[in-house]
Amino acid sequence: MIKSSVLEKTTCYHCGDDCTTIDHIVEDKHFCCHGCKSVYEVLSADDLCNYYSYNEHPGVTRKQTNKRFDYLSDETIAAGLIDYRDRHISIVTFYIPQIHCSSCLWLLEKLNKINPAIQYCRVDFLKKQLNIRYNHEKINLQQLVELLDNIGYEPLISLQDVIKKQNTVDKDNLVSKIAVAGFCFGNVMLLSFPEYFGLSGLEQTFKHFFGWINILFSLPIVLYSGTGYFVSAWQNLKNRVLNIDFPLALGIAVLFARTVLEIVTRTGAGFADTLCGLVFFLLVGKFVQKKTYHHISFERDYRSFFPVAVHIIENGIEKPVPLGKLGIGNRMVVRNNEIIPADAILLKGEALIDFSFVTGESIPISKTLGEIIYAGGRQTGEAIELEVVKPVSQSYLTQLWNNEAFTRTQDKRMQTFNEKVSKYFTIVLLSIAFATLIFWLPTDVRRGFAAFTAILIVACPCALALSTPFTMSAALSIFDRNHFYLKNVAVVEQLAAIDTIVMDKTGTITTGTVNNIKLEAILTDAQKQLVYSLCSNSSHPLSRIICHYLGNMDQLAVSGYSEVAGKGVQAHINGQFVMAGSADFILDCTDHSSARTMVHITIDGKYMGYFAFLLGYRDGMKNIAALSNSYDEYLLSGDQDHEKGDLQQFFPKSSSMYFNQSPQSKLDFVQSLQQNGNKVMMIGDGLNDSGALRQSDLGIAVTDNVNNFSPGSDAILDGKSFDKLPVFLRFAKDTIVIIHFSFFISLTYNLVGLSYAITGNLSPLTAAILMPLSTATIISFTSLATHFAAKKRQLI
Amino acid sequence: MQPEKFYYDNKIVRDFGIATVLWGIIGMTVGLIAAIQLYHPGANMHNQYTTFGRIRPLHTNAVIFAFVGNAIFMGVYYSLQRLLKARMFSDALSKIHFWGWQLIIVSAVITLPLGLTTSHEYAELEWPIDIVITIIWVVFGINMFGTIFKRRERHLYVAIWFYIATFVTIAVLHIVNSFELPVSAFKSYMVYAGVQDALVQWWYGHNAVAFFLTTPYLGMMYYFLPKMANRPVYSYKLSILHFWALIFIYIWAGPHHLLYTTLPGWAQSLGVAFSIMLIAPSWGGMINGLLTLRGAWDKVRDDVILKFMVVALTAYGMATFEGPMLSLKQINSIAHFSDWIVAHVHVGALGWNGFLTFAVLYWLIPRIYKTELFSKKLASFHFWIGTLGIIFYAVPMYWAGFTQSLMLKEFTAEGMLKYPNFLETTLQILPMHVMRSVGGAMYLLGVIVMAYNLLKTAKQGSLVANEAAQAMPLEPIHTIARESAWHRRLERKPIQMMVAALFVILIGTFIELMPTLTISSNIPTIASVKPYTSLELQGRDLYIREGCSNCHSQTVRPFRSETERYGEYSKAGEFVYDHPFLWGSKRTGPDLARIGGKYGNAWHFNHLMDPRLMSPGSIMPEYEWLLTQNLDTTTTRAKINGMRMIGVPYAVGYENQANTDLDKQAKAIAADLAKDHIKVKSNKEVIAIIAYLQRLGMDIKANKSTKY
Amino acid sequence: MNILYFLIGCSVLLALGFLGAFFWAQGNGQNDDLFTPSMRMLIEDDEKESDEKEPPIQK
Repeated sequence: MIKSSVLEKTTCYHCGDDCTTIDHIVEDKHFCCHGCKSVYEVLSADDLCNYYSYNEHPGVTRKQTNKRFDYLSDETIAAGLIDYRDRHISIVTFYIPQIHCSSCLWLLEKLNKINPAIQYCRVDFLKKQLNIRYNHEKINLQQLVELLDNIGYEPLISLQDVIKKQNTVDKDNLVSKIAVAGFCFGNVMLLSFPEYFGLSGLEQTFKHFFGWINILFSLPIVLYSGTGYFVSAWQNLKNRVLNIDFPLALGIAVLFARTVLEIVTRTGAGFADTLCGLVFFLLVGKFVQKKTYHHISFERDYRSFFPVAVHIIENGIEKPVPLGKLGIGNRMVVRNNEIIPADAILLKGEALIDFSFVTGESIPISKTLGEIIYAGGRQTGEAIELEVVKPVSQSYLTQLWNNEAFTRTQDKRMQTFNEKVSKYFTIVLLSIAFATLIFWLPTDVRRGFAAFTAILIVACPCALALSTPFTMSAALSIFDRNHFYLKNVAVVEQLAAIDTIVMDKTGTITTGTVNNIKLEAILTDAQKQLVYSLCSNSSHPLSRIICHYLGNMDQLAVSGYSEVAGKGVQAHINGQFVMAGSADFILDCTDHSSARTMVHITIDGKYMGYFAFLLGYRDGMKNIAALSNSYDEYLLSGDQDHEKGDLQQFFPKSSSMYFNQSPQSKLDFVQSLQQNGNKVMMIGDGLNDSGALRQSDLGIAVTDNVNNFSPGSDAILDGKSFDKLPVFLRFAKDTIVIIHFSFFISLTYNLVGLSYAITGNLSPLTAAILMPLSTATIISFTSLATHFAAKKRQLI
Repeated sequence: MQPEKFYYDNKIVRDFGIATVLWGIIGMTVGLIAAIQLYHPGANMHNQYTTFGRIRPLHTNAVIFAFVGNAIFMGVYYSLQRLLKARMFSDALSKIHFWGWQLIIVSAVITLPLGLTTSHEYAELEWPIDIVITIIWVVFGINMFGTIFKRRERHLYVAIWFYIATFVTIAVLHIVNSFELPVSAFKSYMVYAGVQDALVQWWYGHNAVAFFLTTPYLGMMYYFLPKMANRPVYSYKLSILHFWALIFIYIWAGPHHLLYTTLPGWAQSLGVAFSIMLIAPSWGGMINGLLTLRGAWDKVRDDVILKFMVVALTAYGMATFEGPMLSLKQINSIAHFSDWIVAHVHVGALGWNGFLTFAVLYWLIPRIYKTELFSKKLASFHFWIGTLGIIFYAVPMYWAGFTQSLMLKEFTAEGMLKYPNFLETTLQILPMHVMRSVGGAMYLLGVIVMAYNLLKTAKQGSLVANEAAQAMPLEPIHTIARESAWHRRLERKPIQMMVAALFVILIGTFIELMPTLTISSNIPTIASVKPYTSLELQGRDLYIREGCSNCHSQTVRPFRSETERYGEYSKAGEFVYDHPFLWGSKRTGPDLARIGGKYGNAWHFNHLMDPRLMSPGSIMPEYEWLLTQNLDTTTTRAKINGMRMIGVPYAVGYENQANTDLDKQAKAIAADLAKDHIKVKSNKEVIAIIAYLQRLGMDIKANKSTKY
Repeated sequence: MNILYFLIGCSVLLALGFLGAFFWAQGNGQNDDLFTPSMRMLIEDDEKESDEKEPPIQK
């Protein structure tokens, strides 16, 4: 078949996909689809073809798009999306997942060439955001989005964009604080060196001068950079919590007080450098802890999945309404690839609903007229009309979402090691300090206070406060490198602490896509060609899969083709009558023997056999199963138990598998486990498990596309790293060990310091050396140890 | 709103480019001549204007301010326009800047051989030129900030930050180091004396290296390297971070040039500490640059321009690592005053500045001439000969420095100096000096080849004097709903606002008081140290004119090897009347701090007439002209007055009898010479310089005799 | 050695200046996006007609 081989060779000039047809060619450039071709035409019209010069095939495939954006002309919706608006111009920010290369950057910042009404575009490459300033008198939001769509950059507009949360542009402006701290630290160090190197008698004047300058430099440290610690210490005290911030705040205060005292009374050089160093390092630690990864968002919830608006038909006219306004009895129109936002009854059209988002089941289910279709399904194929039976707010999905599990605040999670220790640390520290004070008071008051303050200074748990963030962020970046994205550093500790693993089946341990289709029939090439020719006429996903499975073949002339909605297809080919479809369509008997999806084949009424579609298990299931000797493992599946046999290999224990589980029952199951004192890790897919994910101590969403949103999860695991899960668990444990050890180290430092302090003669130099030294040790130790552990686990 | 069409000014870039190449060749040629004189004194063509002492400053000034300077402006004017999407603020200013800068260089080329110098290294130019420099620098500043203000791209790319830092810091440095009191049209005295002057000078000297040879080049690296490799810099975050780190630390490292001098110990240690810290940000830059090429090493293999960049970055890494090492006291005690330092700076200069400049030229000239490079072969020849040149230069110099220092420090079993005669050590390293000049010649040859290559390139293309570009005008920030301006945040926090204000005010007022504080100096004074006589003062100025301090230091470090060789180590109090200080930074010849009274006048006379008479094999040039030229005594009065003004306690009215004093002392010396059958008029320059030499270190000796 | 007062003063003032610059940058949003600029600077907008004949527009 020369022709087909030729076909396979040509790739789309725009997106680089294989071209399966040859009907999209412009000036000897091949395109895979009309979409890609039209993008090229738009760009060439405005001579923006440099777009293609920066990278090969910079585009993203445009195969399935017949989006409609007319809802954007609705004022209320537009108002929700726009960041800023005055008499002439509007500013709007879009999230555009397609942004991926310098060509994107180049093109999206050149929109003005396509439409002069667009005045200014700025791309944030990592956030995949496009900020546009345009003249809304000349172009409205809808046209703007359509323009973007035309050039292949369709913004992802969701309900969440309309209901904007307050964007938190680091309120505590940490960076500035660090800058100030660093600046003062540097200068104070400079001015303190002379003291250490020793000033000759003649240079005493310098000493006092430097002292005063030091006080000057410590002021911003205490009153600007360090404020956060006082505030949080105070708040914690009010809530009767003793956290690490208390001794820190205490340390800072004492350091400053004593520095000022010593310099003013000319009794010493003070501890200005220790003070500045302390605050500087603490802030750096805080910064490291805050480190987040832009490339996935944990903050999106079900709203980011729902459309902003739906089209309803009112007395014959179709018009968009905001989702909020959608009411019971509305007759809505849902087109190909659109989500059904509310539970509704099918009134018109062939409904092929893809529930993969809700159930992980990738093969669309056909619904018959009058059936109730739950929200969250995605229509594939022609446009359908439905009547809303429940408002969005009460639909199956949103109810699930509004479950108390979601409203529960995060801090009920297990207490981190850090918090536990710091409580005792503080108590011990204070008792030692006061003990010393009382010990000295009768004999020597001066020395008593000297010792008291000295203790609070040297025992200031700087290194202690740093060990967790530095270890965790190191671990975090290693997980990140292995496509395992954790929400925050605390998750690592949870990962190490869990003892029970609950898994969802579909989409979690099974791959989301049909990857093995079995042909239970003996067909000759000629017959295969017949089936290919038949199916190639149908747009039904199963037909597509079959065609893909049979590979590129020559199409034969087809006559009398007919497709029975949701049942099958039939046609005369080469004088043979070929049928393909469901059991009741072919054998007009519905077989309940297996719940597997099958397509049966008859040629001239002769039953040839069937295609069976199976969901494959992710590779590495074996290693996961192997965990069962260290963890209790459970499987919760939404489907019937027809795969029980296959799954036995992974879950040998009886009572470890549960089928026909509704999202709610999954949630309850997790809850019950927790009530038995288990630390539960739930591994599930997207939305339907989100309840359980939230409920669990550690919810991991498995997905093949990290940009899919996975509400309620603490971590997102890329499907291709699924097999590494056991390694991740072990690595998390290593991390905790490292932290414990670094705590030990920093405590030893504190003890060393104390030995000086208790006697009341702590020289500024000792303090100034101990503090950075301990910090340096901790930072280098944690990062090195983590690196080493990762190497051991082959994660780097 | 329509996108604005505008034109990049390529002509000014081209002009600076030409200047770069031209001055490069001149400066390096002068360097070569100077290098040859270090083993063949005759190479000065027996002409005072081409003698080492006078052309060494010419060489440094030419390569630093002419070659590198023009290269910086070329790079800045090219990248700034493109990064800001705007033409330079004003073509007029650009032209003034260009021609002004060339004028400065020309005046340097004239004045330095004439011996008009302040003797402050890298700041030798006399006060009128200093003023011109200030003006032109301000012009450059206005032009740069003007462009920044009318930019069409909101974000200031990291390169621009480096340019800004360069401008601001150099401005401050230049002004502080130019506090000099003019006594005539082309003669001035530094306001500070001795140790203080030294400190200022090296605070300047070090930061000049930092902010003239480093930061602008880092900026250029961050613009041109990504362009050349056509890939974004390895980590933009890192580049920003290391910029701020670098500028905050660099300022403090100055004192490491004065280790073992009479600078207070803690100030020295300070310099050391901060020099060590410098490694981090410096290497941050180098690593960021090299990693930008990760995965593109195949490109490097067949792109000579990238080859140049790689060597440049490596050289930068080596120099910035070696620098802090050299500031360690132990290492410094060996390296300082020796050829090691010469090697160190040339690795930086030839490798980092030179090669990066060449890379930029090779990349930029074809672009603004809309053509291809004339010959890749010649370019890669340049690369290889240049690299070899660096090696042939650096290796012998490291070797020489090391050898000579160790010889000078070596003692015999009996505890005597192994090489009591300094000359022995010099003769030992002459072969290395020969090789060094060969290396230099190779490097120079490469540059000449480049000049030819670029000329041909320009010929085959045509200059796009005004390159058209388009960009949206920048809308005023307020139209974008921006919540957080820092001062607004401060206003919400009155305490912090107050603190910030207090902080700035205190520092400010404090700085106001500075100059008054500096007049009085609390340096331990030594009773026996007296101001120079008028003749000695004139002699000292001749010493400065001839650039003797380029080869002879005037400070004895507290090592046994030096106290044995030269005498008692130097005290801060000895230099209180030295405007400027003449410690020097290199010992091609022996230290002179204690030369006074060591030899007779006749010895000095003959030695100055022909050094090889007194010490065979010496590489010191012959100063015949000192014997023939008459001493200009018309300036004496002004000089005395000037000195008094800046704190030298000359009795009131001394200026009136200064010249009679001068004659008396001169005649005495002439008479003494006559005893040795040397006929010389007392009004010759040689008399004055002998007087000065004989005075050096005498005060402290007198001190000894009076058992103080 | 009173000169030290002066030099320290100068250096501190200089450093303060830079600190101010940093705050400006921070407030101005210069450091909001620390990735895209490194890609943006690579993009040359090559206008078709660039020639010296055309008089440069001054503004």
